[in-house]
Amino acid sequence: MTPQSLLQLTSQKCTTGCPILDRLLYGGIPCDSITEIVAESGSGKTQICLQLSLHAQLPVSHGGLAASSLYLHTEFPFPFRRLHQLCLSFRSSNAHHFPVNDNPCDRIFVQSVHTADHLLEIMSKTDPFIENSKNQVPVRLIVIDSIAALFRSDFDNTPVELKRRSSLFFKISSKLKALAKRFNLAVLVTNQVVDLVGPNEGINGLRIGNLVCLHTSGRRVCPALGLAWANCVNSRLFLSRNEEVIREENEKSNGQSCDFVKKKMRKLYVVFAPHLPESSCEFEITREGLFGVER
Amino acid sequence: MEIWRLPISASQRGKLISAGYISLSSLSSISSSDLARELKVSESEAMNILKVASHSRGSETSNASCSIVEGAQSAWDMLHDEESLMHITTSSADLDNILGGGIHCKEVTEIGWSSLSLIVNSVLKYKLTTAFGSESIIFMLIGGVPGIGKTQLGIQIAVNVQIPNDFGGLGGKAIYIDTEGSFMVERAFQIAEACIEDMSEYNRFLRKDFQECKIKILPQDILENIFYFRICSYTEQIALINYLDKFLSEHKDVDMSLWSQVKVIVVDSVTFHFRQDFDDMALRTRVLSGMALKLMNLAKRFSLAVVLLNQVTTKHTEASFQLALALGDSWSHTCTNRIVLYWNGNERYAYIDKSPSLRSASAAYSVTARGIRNSSSSCKRIKMM
Repeated sequence: MTPQSLLQLTSQKCTTGCPILDRLLYGGIPCDSITEIVAESGSGKTQICLQLSLHAQLPVSHGGLAASSLYLHTEFPFPFRRLHQLCLSFRSSNAHHFPVNDNPCDRIFVQSVHTADHLLEIMSKTDPFIENSKNQVPVRLIVIDSIAALFRSDFDNTPVELKRRSSLFFKISSKLKALAKRFNLAVLVTNQVVDLVGPNEGINGLRIGNLVCLHTSGRRVCPALGLAWANCVNSRLFLSRNEEVIREENEKSNGQSCDFVKKKMRKLYVVFAPHLPESSCEFEITREGLFGVER
Repeated sequence: MEIWRLPISASQRGKLISAGYISLSSLSSISSSDLARELKVSESEAMNILKVASHSRGSETSNASCSIVEGAQSAWDMLHDEESLMHITTSSADLDNILGGGIHCKEVTEIGWSSLSLIVNSVLKYKLTTAFGSESIIFMLIGGVPGIGKTQLGIQIAVNVQIPNDFGGLGGKAIYIDTEGSFMVERAFQIAEACIEDMSEYNRFLRKDFQECKIKILPQDILENIFYFRICSYTEQIALINYLDKFLSEHKDVDMSLWSQVKVIVVDSVTFHFRQDFDDMALRTRVLSGMALKLMNLAKRFSLAVVLLNQVTTKHTEASFQLALALGDSWSHTCTNRIVLYWNGNERYAYIDKSPSLRSASAAYSVTARGIRNSSSSCKRIKMM
């Protein structure tokens, strides 16, 4: 066993496709580490996952990993149409990297996962799969969307079952990290949120990370799967979604009047990460993808 | 070892003895400017004397004091040794304060560089006298929720242990065992850079009447002195800890380079791989206590500090949940010192949960771009319990 030389250890990052988000994340999603994205449904988790799978195929000089990705999805159906839409705009903005009849979607391997045990089974098969992929375009990104769906229904709320669930977390996380280290992969995992009911005390209000509590759609939430899973990931990002009423000035024929317009305000927060300070930025979701907004 | 055996000039020896310095240990805790003042010699001469003294001290093995029981040391000698201990700073003065480091000189805090006290060696004030001699054992468990700064503290310790002797540090190397993959090189580089900047500022401040002692350390040098191991399973973890004995013996060089030996082992985190399904819980307890024993032996044999970072979990007690250190009570009890990191309002606090020598106290700290530093809030106070 020899120690690794830190000077040769470079942490590669995969670009998210937006320079503003990349700046927030100091380059993008890091390799050899598990990044978790926590958000309520409809906030943009899957969008980021799809966008990342496409941008991982960019050459390293452009911030990508020159790699294909493995997309494990647990919620059905897989958004093929949206992927196709994103792929079109990705192709057009990066035309010089891809020949004409090349389809970036070919390099995203999709697999559906049904239960936690199924996931473990898949991961034991992933080893040779990634090994083989080295001959063509190597797999350097694994996306699991979402991990919470695997655990929300199979387990009762008794201490014994919860303990079994926790040890499954550590097993899965340990396997993912071993894979990540062996093949220098970036791992992106998405998680859901649960509502925080009751007073902000005890285990209910346990603060994890930079934010006192997470707010989305006007309610207090906390990431699903609890403290055990929080110990399994290296970094956690939170996407919030809020409806804001904005006063817009409008020129009308009878003079100036103002309209109250509802606008969706979306923000990305860094909850905890070993290399990132506490920060946040606003973003929007368009047809072309998910992009940060500079205010 | 006595002063008269030091390879210095006769006049210097005479001055030392007439000023009252009879044994080497009395020279270990004095700074060169104080010594220069007492002996009425130039500061460079005083630095020379101290260098020679520390070199001779390093090469001796054990106290040659007579004792009734083999390996025992008189309490007076122990007290003397205690006072001459070196410390590794956490870079946060409040944190150092509750860890018994004490502030050396007031000016040092004013420029933001905290006192030079070892987070782990400060609990070293309690020495264990065993059959092998009175070696000090520093064994510390640091627990906290994710995102509180455990890895940051681990990296800060691995960097701060390398502060050279001239600045009151230990001048040692570090072993960093990463089980989770949280160690980011760029972050370690950032912290190393900030540490060097603080050192040069301290240098500029203190030695303004003396010629500049250039800091020739680069962040790359600091990174080179951290031996980084990444492990992916509990069997690897145990194998590595068994291997460390051989590794440390091979790396024990006694040359006069700036950093000589490994002085701290940081394990981040020690609990991760043990929280999977262990078919036999008794096996897990045995394996864990075996590992703890090995680490304690390493600490004893090579006089180094062991800092273990621990995760927390919830404990089901009657109807409510409580936070507890992962891996159970028996594991928590193997360590002599425990520090718990927690959130209090909007601030990060460190609380000494268990220590044989320090009072229970809590202090605020913050994680900044430069690493662990004092908390900058206006209502901070050190709470003694």
